[in-house]
Amino acid sequence: MEKSKPEIVIELTKLAKRYDDEAGVYDALKKVELKVRAGEFLAVMGPSGSGKSTLMNIIGLLDRPTQGNYLLDGVDTNTLSDKDLAKLRRDRIGFIFQNFNLLPRLSIMQNVELPLIYQKIRTAERKRRVREVLSEVGILDKIDSKPNRVSGGQVQRAAIARALINKPSLILADEPTGNLDTKTGLGIMELLKKLNNDGVTIVLVTHNPELSHYASRIVEVRDGLLSEKEVRK
Amino acid sequence: MIWQNIKNAFLSIRSAKLRSALTAVGVMIGVFAVLVMVGVGDGVKAEIESQISNLGTNVLTITSGKLNQSASSSDPKEQKGSGINIASGIGTSTLTEDDVKTIENTPNVSRSAAFGIISSSVAKDQIVSNSAFVIATTPSYFDIRQLKTSQGSFFSADDNSGSKFVAVIGADTKQSLFGGEDPIGKSISLRGKQFRVLGVIEKSDAGVSLGANADDIVIIPINSAIKLTGKNDVFRVIAEVDSEKNIEKVKASLEQSIGSNHSGADDFSVLTQKELLTTFSSILDILTTFVVAIAAISLLVGGIGIMNIMLVTVSERTKEIGIRKAMGATFGNIMGQFLTESIIISLIGGVIGVLASYLAGMVIAKLANITPVYSPIALISALGASLFIGVVFGTAPAIKAARKHPIQALKSL
Repeated sequence: MEKSKPEIVIELTKLAKRYDDEAGVYDALKKVELKVRAGEFLAVMGPSGSGKSTLMNIIGLLDRPTQGNYLLDGVDTNTLSDKDLAKLRRDRIGFIFQNFNLLPRLSIMQNVELPLIYQKIRTAERKRRVREVLSEVGILDKIDSKPNRVSGGQVQRAAIARALINKPSLILADEPTGNLDTKTGLGIMELLKKLNNDGVTIVLVTHNPELSHYASRIVEVRDGLLSEKEVRK
Repeated sequence: MIWQNIKNAFLSIRSAKLRSALTAVGVMIGVFAVLVMVGVGDGVKAEIESQISNLGTNVLTITSGKLNQSASSSDPKEQKGSGINIASGIGTSTLTEDDVKTIENTPNVSRSAAFGIISSSVAKDQIVSNSAFVIATTPSYFDIRQLKTSQGSFFSADDNSGSKFVAVIGADTKQSLFGGEDPIGKSISLRGKQFRVLGVIEKSDAGVSLGANADDIVIIPINSAIKLTGKNDVFRVIAEVDSEKNIEKVKASLEQSIGSNHSGADDFSVLTQKELLTTFSSILDILTTFVVAIAAISLLVGGIGIMNIMLVTVSERTKEIGIRKAMGATFGNIMGQFLTESIIISLIGGVIGVLASYLAGMVIAKLANITPVYSPIALISALGASLFIGVVFGTAPAIKAARKHPIQALKSL
């Protein structure tokens, strides 16, 4: 069944995150407001330690806010249990990390199918969908290779395939080209742009202004505060 | 999901072969030790049961002391004050010459044989055997025990009544004293007196049981023993009843008549073969349980080994846990994955332990003349114990893995 896609994918209202540990009290996010529409390519920029990673972790349901509300596809995530959050991550979010985060013991096939295993999709269907998505990102010939047997660009393409495999409402890309050379990095950005053109909502975290050119909208996080920078048509 | 967890477990085991193997060895040793102990215990029990059963079901054993059988009764009333006194039958016998006569004259007793144990080494010229078991009895003993000679003959009633210094020896005694030499007509020495060897008993299948080798034995006439030692100490009497259906009747009659010989003192036992079997089985069960309990400690140590390695594994694979959580793995998914891994390692140890115990059984059967018996229940229990160990000692590490916070796990190296 086709997933219903509401107009607003992400809606943050007065969202705050405070860390209170041995190092002291620190406000990483201060009453942030943000709406991301379906099909947008949002670039989140900001210097190191500005709070953009904290924002990404909360949007990715890997962490909870201290205050405020976060609606993902219209669902209030504050009311959900850890198990429900895990299911939302599995079904609605695709992650692309700077350091790829593929499991070295598993083949590209086994890495990419991971979200489908947790969705309890049957083997034949998993294989079909992995082949389909690997073909889309251009590394079908590497399906049985281990991550350490392919290039950095191919590993990141495999990570993108893994993020796409569950047909998510949202892809979160945290410095996806940070560990790649310029040429390979641009190839990855072209791929993300193509996916966005196909209707996938993308939130990209980067401190590289060059990459933000691929985005349709740019926001900046600085000292825990979020501000709109630019909207492109 | 279970299948995926099993696949993941094998992948993980393969990526740390030596560590996984060493962990499994802990469980293997535990399962091996328990199974071998149970197997040897059951093997000895089966051997004794077979020996006792071979005597026939129409034989009663009258013994000094009280071997209370009500311990095996299912009726709680009968169990009052019950138990087996292992010391019964050791020390000065309460059975007398009058008891032997009473048994002989009891209706439906077709034949009986009293026997005593003589404490003596056995020598031939300069060769001395201290291991041979010397018993003194009447010729009917050979018939009731269904013994056969491989050379010569048994002593006769006349040899007994004439108190002749003659002897029948076991196959192993013959080998140790005479080697390849023909022993018939030659002499052996007991307490300094010369006994002429009349016959050699055919080698039995009984082997060693309860510390006595059935083939390392010297049997002399009971009257000759009285002449030798100056006393008649009846250790035990075996009585053959004319028909199995009269067993209980004869037992009751003997209990009454011997009891009256002893002025009502409850210092002897009349046991059927079944009761004798139960007595030996109970003693062996106690010994086996004790030894198995000690062996089970090694299983516990194996389990602690699994827990230790799984904790290390969880710590090393924290990043993997973070990645899996980001991909949507729930608490249950992660817990299932690590629990499956510890169960698989434990089961591998268990299976190898079972196979090793089988091999050990073959070696023991060859070297020690005891054939260990591995019952299906023992094997299933051993594998069940491995599963149990995997679950019990894998749970804490699996919970630790499942509780990891996704962000902290992802940030780990």
